[in-house]
Amino acid sequence: MSLTMNSGFSTKRLRGALGGFILALLVLAFGAIAAADDSGVERADKIEQQLNQVKTDESAEQSRVQRDERAIRQLEQQLQQLESQHATLVRQANTLEVTSDKLKVEVAQLQDSQKQLAAGPSDEQFGSAMSRYLGSHQFTWNGSVSGGFIYDRGNNTNTFALAFQPLVIYRLNDWISFEGEMDGLLPQGSSAQFALPVAMFQLFLNDYLQVNAGLFDQPFGDWYEAQSASWVNRFVTAPLLYGAEAIVPPSELGLQLRGGLQWGALGQDVDYTTWVANGPGFDSALPHPVVGQTLNPVNNIQINTNGKAFGTRIRFYPFPLDSNLGRLELGASTYDGKWLNGHWFNSWGIDYAYLNGNLQTRGEYVQTYRQMPGGGPQDKRQGWYIQFGYFLQGLPLPQLPFGLDRYIENLEPLIRYSGVNQRAVVADEISTVPGIGFSGSPSIFSPHARQVALGIDYWIEPSIVWQTEFDIELPRAGGTLFSFNGASTATASPVGATSNDHAILTQFVIGF
Amino acid sequence: MSIRTLLVATTIAAIAMSSNTTARSAAAQDQTPEQHRMLIEGAHLWSVYCNQCHNARPGSQFSPAQWDAITMHMKTLSNMPAKDMRAIKEFLKLH
Repeated sequence: MSLTMNSGFSTKRLRGALGGFILALLVLAFGAIAAADDSGVERADKIEQQLNQVKTDESAEQSRVQRDERAIRQLEQQLQQLESQHATLVRQANTLEVTSDKLKVEVAQLQDSQKQLAAGPSDEQFGSAMSRYLGSHQFTWNGSVSGGFIYDRGNNTNTFALAFQPLVIYRLNDWISFEGEMDGLLPQGSSAQFALPVAMFQLFLNDYLQVNAGLFDQPFGDWYEAQSASWVNRFVTAPLLYGAEAIVPPSELGLQLRGGLQWGALGQDVDYTTWVANGPGFDSALPHPVVGQTLNPVNNIQINTNGKAFGTRIRFYPFPLDSNLGRLELGASTYDGKWLNGHWFNSWGIDYAYLNGNLQTRGEYVQTYRQMPGGGPQDKRQGWYIQFGYFLQGLPLPQLPFGLDRYIENLEPLIRYSGVNQRAVVADEISTVPGIGFSGSPSIFSPHARQVALGIDYWIEPSIVWQTEFDIELPRAGGTLFSFNGASTATASPVGATSNDHAILTQFVIGF
Repeated sequence: MSIRTLLVATTIAAIAMSSNTTARSAAAQDQTPEQHRMLIEGAHLWSVYCNQCHNARPGSQFSPAQWDAITMHMKTLSNMPAKDMRAIKEFLKLH
């Protein structure tokens, strides 16, 4: 703007200067003419020429001034354009500066992320993240589901059967946990039947002492606690002494102390379990107690007696692991309690288990005594079983067609002999309706039941198995059959020879 | 979605997709001598102690957190010495 004003001012001055210059020339010329009267026509001509020259010069000067003015206007326009362009460039520069700063930040973040990605998470970070994700309070589901088919010749029955037995373990921390098991069954004439065989708190106080409280499997022998799960039991059925006519209560409501320690070399262990509980109970549906009466599955609060039951089990492992003698377990159990005011139920048992390579065998012998009211004879019972199994895995086999040798390796042939002796059975308690793990054979309810079970297991996975069992029931004669048949007192009749029976059971079990 | 968000999401997905095996093998490489000894002992005990009652199940069937709970259950049933159960648990959690 200042340049424009200066340009206009210079033009006016130039015009003024030119006018003054011409006027001076005219004064000088007329002065010269007046001073020299007689200079003549020549002088006049010269003056005229000079005037013409002055006019010519003035015209040229005006043209030049006009050209200069045009040039000045053009320069002024160019200047305005340049100023506009300059302002635009300044704005663009500012924008670029901001963008550059953002890019620098993002590049830094990218480099940081690339470094983290290249380094990867450490074990601690991964473990911490997973622990945080899972939480410290954890539920774990285990258990089994089994479905099968049962045929019994003596009872003339065949049926499908199903059982679902989930076990949930809630772990609070390293020393507190809770576990509960539910049994879902499909009995005859009902859509479903549920039971709660286990609901127990576990406190791990130290390496040698654990406290369990609640409803638990009877820690007597190995069967109820360790062998009764359907994917653990090598057979479809239970041995007779733990089956339909069990001679020891299957579960208890009470408190346990238990633990184990190594007494010698690695593998040479000893463990103990001792418990106090509500004690045994017998079928309260009968009008009065009789010998051979069935045990209740669990002694709950409603049928509590005036005394508690006490039990202890000791297991001993004599062989060191490095001896290559296999793993041998020797156990002894006792369980005593009042089943009625002043009347005791006493029991003891011994058991063994042995594992060596593909061979596994186990067995138990149990004896029980029950004081009867009225000074009658004791209710004595004995039961036992012994079983063997051998995995064909690793067996040297020739290459068979269709790859049969691979399938044969998954087989485990089994044999079990079990029996029960009791003085009597109660006719009103006999139920021959089959179910999972029970063929329903009437021969099982003989006072002197005997059974040979032949089995073949096909192991698909360590906990997935297809089991098939052929039972040969060989009851012996003898004993008494009590029958109430709606009366208040039982009538006794001798049990003579009982016919043998055969049953086939097959089931598919998934342990999860 | 910014580049950073994308990278973080990719990292998390990569970690999640890497199975327990990755974590287990990484943990196995970072053992102390005591852990290594316990692991060997656990492998030895696992094949015998577990098989005595049932077929021994491989560690890969359950997560380490699940083994924490399951081994408490098995400790109760077996009454085995606590140090032996710890060794078996370490073995199961890493294999």
